[in-house]
Amino acid sequence: MSLNREAFNKFAEMAGQLADMDTPVEMPDDQRVANAKRVMMEKMDAPKAAMLESCIHCGMCAEVCHFYMTQEDGKFTPILKLDLLKRVYRRELSPLRWMHRLYTRDVTIEDLEEWQELVYDTCTVCGRCSLICPMGIHIAAMMPIMRNAYSAAGMVPAELHLMDSQQDQGHLFGVGKDEFIGLIEQLRSQGLEIPVDKDKADIMVLTSVLDIMVSQDSLIAMIKIMNHLGYDWTFRTDGYECANFGMLSGDEEVHLKASKKIIDAAVACGAKKVIVAECGHSYPALRYEAPDIWGHALPFEVLATSEFLGQEVEKGTLKLKKAEGVHTVTFHDPCKNNRWGGVEKEPRAVLTALGLEIREPDSTGRTNICCGGGGGAFLINRTADYRQRVFELKRDQIDATGSEALVVTCGSCRLNFEVGKMKSNWGKPVESLVEMVGDNLDDGAARSGTGSP
Amino acid sequence: MTLLEFARGPAMEWSLIILVAGVVLRFAGIFLLTRHKTYFRTKGGSTLAAGLRTIGTRSAPTPDLEHRVRFSHYTGYLWHIGLFITVLFYAPHILFFESILGFGWPALPTSVVLAAAAVTLAVLIALLIRRMVHPVLKTISGFDDYASWFVTTLPLVTGLVAFGHLGADFGWRYETLLAVHILSVELLFVYFPFGKLFHPFSIWFTRYMIGGQMEQRGVRA
Repeated sequence: MSLNREAFNKFAEMAGQLADMDTPVEMPDDQRVANAKRVMMEKMDAPKAAMLESCIHCGMCAEVCHFYMTQEDGKFTPILKLDLLKRVYRRELSPLRWMHRLYTRDVTIEDLEEWQELVYDTCTVCGRCSLICPMGIHIAAMMPIMRNAYSAAGMVPAELHLMDSQQDQGHLFGVGKDEFIGLIEQLRSQGLEIPVDKDKADIMVLTSVLDIMVSQDSLIAMIKIMNHLGYDWTFRTDGYECANFGMLSGDEEVHLKASKKIIDAAVACGAKKVIVAECGHSYPALRYEAPDIWGHALPFEVLATSEFLGQEVEKGTLKLKKAEGVHTVTFHDPCKNNRWGGVEKEPRAVLTALGLEIREPDSTGRTNICCGGGGGAFLINRTADYRQRVFELKRDQIDATGSEALVVTCGSCRLNFEVGKMKSNWGKPVESLVEMVGDNLDDGAARSGTGSP
Repeated sequence: MTLLEFARGPAMEWSLIILVAGVVLRFAGIFLLTRHKTYFRTKGGSTLAAGLRTIGTRSAPTPDLEHRVRFSHYTGYLWHIGLFITVLFYAPHILFFESILGFGWPALPTSVVLAAAAVTLAVLIALLIRRMVHPVLKTISGFDDYASWFVTTLPLVTGLVAFGHLGADFGWRYETLLAVHILSVELLFVYFPFGKLFHPFSIWFTRYMIGGQMEQRGVRA
């Protein structure tokens, strides 16, 4: 199984035109600044304040940031990316604000314009900086506040702003409910049994625009796996899309609206579990961020695909054959699943069950280096050079393991690797975990009837 | 009142008052802010245990990343340890603490303390130069970074000058050199709560908080 090359090229072409299709937000400059500052103040609380008060400017965060590692430009220092937030905090909320106001410059429209590159283009919100800070400053956890502020200021990069609008209207890259239903019908005509819009189901499975458009094999694999497991599951056409561009842009309204579709659909069918497709950011967007924006706990469990598969393997319910044609692999942890979601051992359990030798790179698991395209950077055209340099850093790390293939479990990571491969003539196969599982289901061990998840 | 009497008397009292009041004010201002509630289902184990564990584990970089921060990490430890040896184990300093606390402790040989002070000063100078030329450090550094370096280094320099009676050639009496040394320490006390030197107080809380926050998502901080 592999990417649909034709669809991939079409997707890449569409992605390249996003910026031209966007309608910028009209707003006076002083309003932009006021909105940004208001959001920064609203989002500040005691733990974040303590962290902003504690930076000793040691610069360690830069040393582990893939953008600094590949550019060696001090402006890419992670803590500097929060400087506007720090300045607003110091001038408006800090206990020493009477002192800070004497020498800390107020935030201006020029500052917002300058920092946009640091907030979106050169930060994938991967969270590696937060792992090294000797003071324990969770730098990456404060970056979303910067994005919230930019969204309120109407200064989200054009590509992400357009995707926000599309998500709000219920279609992404021209793919909406009708296209999803069309694909389901097409797959049914090929003999696949696909439960859709069941009134009651234990498990609700999500998909993503990338799977519908480019990686249909991932979607097919997930359908096969769920049928193989014999659980009571369904897709819901009123809540199928897991991608959440509101989270990537910082627009909490869009974020919550997209999450609420899923929440409402899951509640409607009484799902106990919701499984997020292989889409890195979608997992924390629903599992961790949506409840906090919504102000309620989710009435169901949210699992990443790799997390679900790993749990099933560990429970013994998912029996797999040995994978053929490949013996050694390197697994790339999506930052949003591992560092932001604690999913680490499960995908490795799956790979082991497939009989594969996992060759870990120097820095792996929770310290894994981002693919370079996370946090929405993959769609921002002007970041292409930055992304390629990070890809090359990652490529060299993977090559050093001597593994035969790279396995990913995030559509954005996969596409970023594919683009990097094309640009640098890299020959390493990039495989999807769910597709590998779908290809190697042990039919002799298939469960019969409906089991409990 | 001589300069030495001033340094040992009202200047010491007021600098300590400013130090304590400043730290209390800063902490109060931070922790009186609201806290945002978390609604997601937590994933890991005890956030209390994770927070306490992280206070310890953040004392060293995670092994996978250590090679990236080796210089900063080890030089940081070197000068902090050198400074502690100098402050806490120099016989005259212990006498000073004994006069306040009512008890003392064994001193290290003067030669050892002197070596520690010299190494500390050398490392601090090297770190200052690095701060001015390193692409990251020169970009992110501001007044507080250089002021903090100055008020930390000054007591070391004035202490070494007083120890060596180095002002004699300029007609400075030992008492004057000692007074300048004490005043430089008091400058450090006064500056302490207002800049990044505050970190010895806040580090316990911030490490604890990131440990708990990451544990909620099942991630080891």
